[in-house]
Amino acid sequence: MTMAGGPGPGGVRGGIEVSGVRRAFGDVLAVDDISLTARPGEVTALIGPNGSGKTTLLLMLASLLVPDSGTISIDGHDPVTEPEQVRARIGWMPDGFGTWDALTVREVLETIAAAYRIPAAQAHARVEALLHTVHLADLAERRARVLSRGQKQRLGLARALINDPSVLLLDEPASGLDPRSRIELRDVLRSLAEQGKTVLVSSHILTELQEVADRAVIVARGRSIQSQRLDDGFAASALASWRLDSLDPERLADFLQRIEVPARPVPGGMLEVEAAGEESAAQLLADLVREGIRVTAFTPSQGALESAYLAATEDRQ
Amino acid sequence: MSWHGIRTVAVLELRQRLRASRWAIVLGVWFAIIGVVTVLTNLTLHDPLVDSGPAMYDVVVFFVLGLGMLVVPSLTATSINGDREHGVLATLQTTLLASADIVLGKLLAAWAIAAAFLVTALPFLVWAWFEGGISTGRILISLLVLMLVLAVVCTVGLMFSSLTARPVASAVLTYLALGALVFGTVIGFGLTNFLVTEEETLRVYGIPDDWWDTHNPPVDQNAPAPAAPTQPLEPSRADCTTFERRTDVAHTERIWWMLALNPFVVVADAAPSRPAREAELNAGFTPMRWISAGARDARAGAPHGVQQECYIGTNLQESPDPLADAAARSGPVWPFGLGFLLVSGVGAALVAERRVRTPIRRLPNGTRIA
Repeated sequence: MTMAGGPGPGGVRGGIEVSGVRRAFGDVLAVDDISLTARPGEVTALIGPNGSGKTTLLLMLASLLVPDSGTISIDGHDPVTEPEQVRARIGWMPDGFGTWDALTVREVLETIAAAYRIPAAQAHARVEALLHTVHLADLAERRARVLSRGQKQRLGLARALINDPSVLLLDEPASGLDPRSRIELRDVLRSLAEQGKTVLVSSHILTELQEVADRAVIVARGRSIQSQRLDDGFAASALASWRLDSLDPERLADFLQRIEVPARPVPGGMLEVEAAGEESAAQLLADLVREGIRVTAFTPSQGALESAYLAATEDRQ
Repeated sequence: MSWHGIRTVAVLELRQRLRASRWAIVLGVWFAIIGVVTVLTNLTLHDPLVDSGPAMYDVVVFFVLGLGMLVVPSLTATSINGDREHGVLATLQTTLLASADIVLGKLLAAWAIAAAFLVTALPFLVWAWFEGGISTGRILISLLVLMLVLAVVCTVGLMFSSLTARPVASAVLTYLALGALVFGTVIGFGLTNFLVTEEETLRVYGIPDDWWDTHNPPVDQNAPAPAAPTQPLEPSRADCTTFERRTDVAHTERIWWMLALNPFVVVADAAPSRPAREAELNAGFTPMRWISAGARDARAGAPHGVQQECYIGTNLQESPDPLADAAARSGPVWPFGLGFLLVSGVGAALVAERRVRTPIRRLPNGTRIA
């Protein structure tokens, strides 16, 4: 395996570099102007509303679609002019993974391994290992048709990993997964990033992403709007909403008004306030307690990523 | 493109198809239908004086070709756009498989299934061989040509499935294309026949048309009966002269190529049931020989030079089969037809390869990538 981290041979930077990419289907402008960077060793989240061009972008990254303009580089290779080089390096997991119904789970993976020209003996071991990674070993001899949606998603992930890619392109990998599988997916993605691979994940499930992603790229209407590092500093400084409940609702409302913190009632009888960063939220809670207001609940209503996403896409819905 | 890649796709296709449908039943039905047709042919045409082998053979081969042309498009005509609809084509396209691997692998798999149908029909051809009158070489040639024709049919189906978004559309287009080849060519030949027919003067060596008027004048009913009834005069070979006659001549040598494109003509002409000169004695029901002779006759077209019509008395036996005569004047037509079909097949494969190649620049309406 070639480590994708750091400058590759010839000083070529690894990872994904997209700049000014545009793609239209007839009159429909699917991707207007997207630029992003996904670095080796990091999980990069691609988030945006439905129809914002995420899947089209991934098709272009997966060497299936030619961009109308703009450039793409995957580990220093252009998917349009060097598709072979790119395909050897990527693992692509499409949204709504279709599979050959009549084949068994093992046969699906062995077929893909053969398509990557992996020698049979090596492929056998690789398939066996991947079946355990995605917890499909006990279903290996079952027909792919009988798999549930979540099991198909896991098969799709195994398929994307079979050639030991240095760049992973995952389109909605968590959809249809049960909570345990989601947590396992998160661990798989983290360990892949730790091996120095570039992982690009598109998803709607923001709370999940916040825990796994190092960086988020927000796209809307075919444009990349914001690129955000999701480290501790982000959680400490990002504007987030908190929900409060108290045994003395009137006193709570009075106090908030007095210190000029805007609050709005939300369903369930709670109040919602906005605080910039965890530090100021903690400060607010300390103030409330010192004031003698009997607080029974003080909880984040949205993750920081969710707030950033909503803020960025607010005017575009 | 690599053999490994082609084999990977072919194995995948075969596994998919063999498990997805009940092929044992399909092949069983196919075997039964051909069996019934062969037995009926044998009962109908069995004649102790005539070898019934050629008749049985012709019927079975044509039946296999006709039924094959119905079955084989279903193997490929939905292959590429069906995979696109199921979202599994892109799964292969993002691997190291070349687009040619995908197209040729699918083709190989479909061809192998077509071959399985042919092999199932083989016992009946062997039976025909035991009935006598056909050579092993002939069986081998027509099987080879049959396989090539079916391969072209596979490729045409594959091309249409790469060109249209909906499997139904490509299936219809494939059947239309085959219909054009099988029926369109015959209809086209029949209709254009009128266009190439013109009145011309032919030189003929034979009994002049006025010979009968001169030597056997019509008997006058009112005249007194002759004393002794005279035997009407018969012409002899000495009466043959060269004269000119105005007649309609069809210049089929300008339109014979339409017949040559017909897969049935190609298969029939590649191995007609027996050499034409032996044909008179045990002709029987031999559609392949008739089609072959007819197509060669069309290729020979309008007669050249002096027409030999002096068949009188002793050489009456030599009067040849007009079809066999014309066929002997021209060469076989099947190399042209087979050549055309193979070139079309290669062209269709190239189109399909072009349409499966990624990354895609222009995406047709309604087509999905993954």
